[in-house]
Amino acid sequence: MNERVTDPSQNPGTAPILEIENLSISFFTRKGEIPAVMDFSCTVMPGEAMGIVGESGCGKSTVSLGVMRDLSNIGRIVGGRIKFQGRDMGDMSDEELRQIRGNKIAMIYQEPMASLNPAMKVGQQLMEVPLIHDKVSKDEAYKRALEMVRAVRLPDPERMMRSFPHQLSGGQQQRIVIAMALLSKPALLLLDEPTTALDVTVEAGIVELVKGLGKQFGTSMLFVSHNLGLILETCDKITVMYSGEAVETGRIEDVFDRMRHPYTQGLFRSIPLPGADKNERPLVAIPGQLPLPHERPKGCNFGPRCHHFVEGVCNAAEIPMIEVEGHEGHFSRCVRFNEIDWAALPKGAEKKHEPVKPGAPVLKIDNLKKYYTVSGNEIFGGAEARVVKANESISFEARESETVAIVGESGCGKSTLAKVLLGLETASSGDVVLGNTPIQSTAIEKREVDTISSIQMVFQNPFDTLNPSHSIGSQIIRTLEKFGIGKTVADREKRMFELLDLVKLPRAFAVRKPRQLSGGQKQRIGVARAFAGAAKVVVADEPVSALDVSVQAAVTELLMEIQRKNKTTMLFISHDLSVVRYIADRVVVMYLGHIVEQGSTDQIFAPPYHPYTEALLSAIPIADTSVVKKHIVLEGDIPSAMNPPPGCPFQTRCRYKRLVPDNLCETKLPPLKDLGAGHRSLCWLDDAQLAAMEPVISFDRGVNVPVSDVVPTDEPHGEGAGTGPGFAGAPPQRPHGKTSDADAESEMERIERAPPPPHGSREITGNPGDSSPDKLQTEVGDGRQAVSGEVTPGLGKTRQSEVDGNEPNRS
Amino acid sequence: MPTETIGALAIIIGVIGRFWPVWIALAIVLTLSFTFRGRLGLYGQLFESGVGVAGVTICFFWLFTAMFAHVIAPFDPLTQVAVMKDAMPGTVVPDQGLVYYFGGDKLARDVFSRMIFGSRIVLIIAPAATAFALMVGTTLGLPAGYYGGKIDALLSFLANLVLAFPVILLFYLLVTPGIVETGLPHWIARVFFIVPIIFFGTLFFTRYKNRPQLLAVQMALIVILGGWVYLGLAFDADPLGIISIDPNQLNIFVAVVFASSPGVFRIVRGLTMDIKTRDYVAAAQTRGESPWYIMLWEILPNARGPLIVDACLRIGYTTILLGTLGYFGLGLAPESPDWGTAIKDASRLLRSFIHPALPPVVALMTFVLGLNLLADALREQSLKD
Ligand SMILES: Nc1ncnc2c1ncn2[C@@H]1O[C@H](COP(=O)(O)OP(=O)(O)OP(=O)(O)O)[C@@H](O)[C@H]1O
Ligand code: SF4
Ligand code: SF4
Ligand SMILES: [Mg+2]
Repeated sequence: MNERVTDPSQNPGTAPILEIENLSISFFTRKGEIPAVMDFSCTVMPGEAMGIVGESGCGKSTVSLGVMRDLSNIGRIVGGRIKFQGRDMGDMSDEELRQIRGNKIAMIYQEPMASLNPAMKVGQQLMEVPLIHDKVSKDEAYKRALEMVRAVRLPDPERMMRSFPHQLSGGQQQRIVIAMALLSKPALLLLDEPTTALDVTVEAGIVELVKGLGKQFGTSMLFVSHNLGLILETCDKITVMYSGEAVETGRIEDVFDRMRHPYTQGLFRSIPLPGADKNERPLVAIPGQLPLPHERPKGCNFGPRCHHFVEGVCNAAEIPMIEVEGHEGHFSRCVRFNEIDWAALPKGAEKKHEPVKPGAPVLKIDNLKKYYTVSGNEIFGGAEARVVKANESISFEARESETVAIVGESGCGKSTLAKVLLGLETASSGDVVLGNTPIQSTAIEKREVDTISSIQMVFQNPFDTLNPSHSIGSQIIRTLEKFGIGKTVADREKRMFELLDLVKLPRAFAVRKPRQLSGGQKQRIGVARAFAGAAKVVVADEPVSALDVSVQAAVTELLMEIQRKNKTTMLFISHDLSVVRYIADRVVVMYLGHIVEQGSTDQIFAPPYHPYTEALLSAIPIADTSVVKKHIVLEGDIPSAMNPPPGCPFQTRCRYKRLVPDNLCETKLPPLKDLGAGHRSLCWLDDAQLAAMEPVISFDRGVNVPVSDVVPTDEPHGEGAGTGPGFAGAPPQRPHGKTSDADAESEMERIERAPPPPHGSREITGNPGDSSPDKLQTEVGDGRQAVSGEVTPGLGKTRQSEVDGNEPNRS
Repeated sequence: MPTETIGALAIIIGVIGRFWPVWIALAIVLTLSFTFRGRLGLYGQLFESGVGVAGVTICFFWLFTAMFAHVIAPFDPLTQVAVMKDAMPGTVVPDQGLVYYFGGDKLARDVFSRMIFGSRIVLIIAPAATAFALMVGTTLGLPAGYYGGKIDALLSFLANLVLAFPVILLFYLLVTPGIVETGLPHWIARVFFIVPIIFFGTLFFTRYKNRPQLLAVQMALIVILGGWVYLGLAFDADPLGIISIDPNQLNIFVAVVFASSPGVFRIVRGLTMDIKTRDYVAAAQTRGESPWYIMLWEILPNARGPLIVDACLRIGYTTILLGTLGYFGLGLAPESPDWGTAIKDASRLLRSFIHPALPPVVALMTFVLGLNLLADALREQSLKD
């Protein structure tokens, strides 16, 4: 039973744990056979982490379920083999499979509660594993369970063991699930989007945990995710899937920096990496959408969306995985990768935009408060009413044509703010002025048609935003009718068609029902609806977070294009700082109902930070191998809004708290400190301490490498070292997913010793630390660059530029 | 006593033969439905499973039976042929040459014909009462679920009150002569029957408020048509004298609607609470829609799946309820051929003659079974999407 513990360590790196060879899996439904996975191969070595990345429906979960042999009754493996520790799983008896599933392969799902028994104490559930698998004594089982709870870094392990699952937060539950999986000492851990349901700062903790597991326990991992940044942080190798097939596989360094499949490149170009800029270097969306499983084209599945498609070559025959010469274990399912110029941009993508000039303030929010009273029981009175402070003194302005991002994790009050703005709730106190009309206490029913149509919303969930029972056209027409646009039915119909044109959908969609549209198309309709009545302010609540990565860029660009054209003010609500950095002009960071920091995008993304913003920045996974992040993992979870901590809202998790004298953080709400040029931060830290902060994200140039050589050059036909046609330059020098641990520690010390400021906070800032990237970000991740190769990253700019004006210096 | 009888095989062949219009209609409808099932939406999908086909077939069977009852039944359901008292199945009626396929009951009426005509009563009252119950339950369930709070507390309390009351006792109360004389059922009927008018009025008003001409036409139609039917049913005062309802049937009707509305209410309330959290409801609110528009046009259409399933089951319950009522001799006239009354009549003599009881029992069972199969298939289909 314990052979796996010895096995991999005896012959490390020789015998793979998992070999998948040409695996094909189909689902047999009433509509016929749906091939969900086709010809999928991959190998996982002991202690290695393999990432599987792909968009929704591409079959990545099916692969992991196939490995578990857990394909409901309609799914079947129709071809290929899965070998576990050298043995074909197809040849194993049911009994053996069961043994392996519980013992040597463990699976962790997105929803932690799916794996936990709600009626049983956590400790008992954990103890069951060694009790059943290893038949140890109760005491021994308890000891092991407790040890494991410590290993997954849960606070107060004894108490955790005595709790029921529902008493834990989502992040804690997921840690318990991981602990449970690890107790059986699996050789292979399957993780299917283990952090998708969690907040970013909580996710960062889990990711760090998972990353350490490989080292600590020698566990191999298959990590399924749609997030390239997460894969970069956790895995050694990556397989990119598209429409049921693996299209590219290789080491992280190769796939991220020298990709050899147009889809992979498209993915990288469509996510907002540091350096993308909505005016200078807009995202490049992948045109079109995923084919349905039964409508896949002949030949290359990516053909219809590929810029390099060549008739007769790409659609001639099924394309096998082709090895990329000169790269180690790098394969691509593209027949033309040697002919493609990997640095070139698709035609028409090189458009730049003039930066918008914000006009007069359109929306003014001043000291807005929203409290909810939660009463115990309607009829019987019962518990006394409690007050939830969803929004506490919110003040900011949004100007015409400007994009203001509101950032925060779940429960921070961003949705409540949106509700108050739209009139679905009324403010408890404070002012909201739209144009010249105060609207803070006018509920939606009492608002004028004009007011209603001038502040509109784009909703988060594309599958929920349109009523499934009505046709697209009639829903838009209804909106026009309510906004009093068009006198006759024909007028409105015409306007509806124009709106469809505006969001770049065919007019034929007017008669379709929402279920006949893809997520991205539905979201476009949502955008059309919001802009139907010449809205002055559009509140976009995470408008793209539920969409597939390759579609996100297109919808984001569309939203911005219409905004630019109509000079609309956009309030962009999001938890994803990468998108925010890309899209926003100004940023408002919220935590537990308070605005903890606000300022221009450049101010927010460069030090001095508010401690919470700093942690948020460090938590976002960035899919760029050249990025080095300072490593800050927050302790614990977000407190409940029912029961906020006294003093500073962030004090329960803040790592700077001890630097503030007199216990101020725990007793008194900090002042909204003005850091100059509209940059405000809700924190007790003094100017010197703030000034000593270092950037969270910086770019690693590699040590002894000349700047121009940092990234392997992508010249398939370049002369020099390469011999074969697939040779693509020297292997990358850089370790990936670097974080600078020591940095964070020494920085704290430095901040502690920081001298008092001579005068004002902005003066001292002209002295960037070692890792402060005031260098040019030349050719970072060359192969995936958006428009220009030479742009100063938005986050790393010299302080001088901040003093001179708000534009980072672009050279 | 007539002695001439036909054998079991002849009875079976004869009965099957009598149903000829039903077979023809079934063949046509099922063939058409099956051929065009791809284009018939949810109904078409029923033909993809055996359960669905069985359910649809049984329900259509009874529907067509009710429609062609006068052709199928060889005798009038009330006519007594004296010699045929308690006749055994397959007894030939002297002089006429026709057969009492399932024998005669204690009043010498043809059990087969009574079963056939009984289907008419059941197939009119059960679906109609269910439709009314749906409308009443929906009209109250929507605001309860949508607004929540005090309105919900009050309405739910009332619904629970009715639900907690033993159904049979309720019926006893509603149809006993003493209560009927107070006019209570009539008053309840007047309330119930106005609900559809209000319902459709609100439905169109909320949607077409901004288009006055269209709205005027719709409102006029609703008031004229609805008012006419309302006068006929609730006050028995149809100026044209076409619409009227037998007071007994009205009582039954009211009782059934009264008893099943709370069930519908709870379902609609639950669905509304769920659907109102959807973004499209928020989107409707942010464009300034009135609450009733949102309830009727945004929420209700999306609750239809579970409601259709529930309606199927509910028609089944109502059929059983009607049977129960008939069995206790409540409501319908004593000579009524409906299945419940027939079972009651036959049960008195169950020890000596079992045959008069069996046909209505089997009819009731198959019809309810068909509805349940249909509901099952519908539920399964709606889960698949
Ligand atoms: N039980 C099932 N019955 C029928 N088809 C299925 C079933 N499960 C998955 N599929 C189909 O198989 C394909 C791959 O699905 P899979 O769940 O593996 O995708 P995924 O990459 O994990 O997507 P996501 O990111 O949304 O989790 C899809 O086309 C899906 O519709
Ligand atoms: S095979 Fe052709 S269509 Fe497919 S990815 Fe390569 S170039 Fe594009
Ligand atoms: S006030 Fe104190 S606890 Fe709050 S963010 Fe600043 S340092 Fe941290
Ligand atoms: Mg999945």
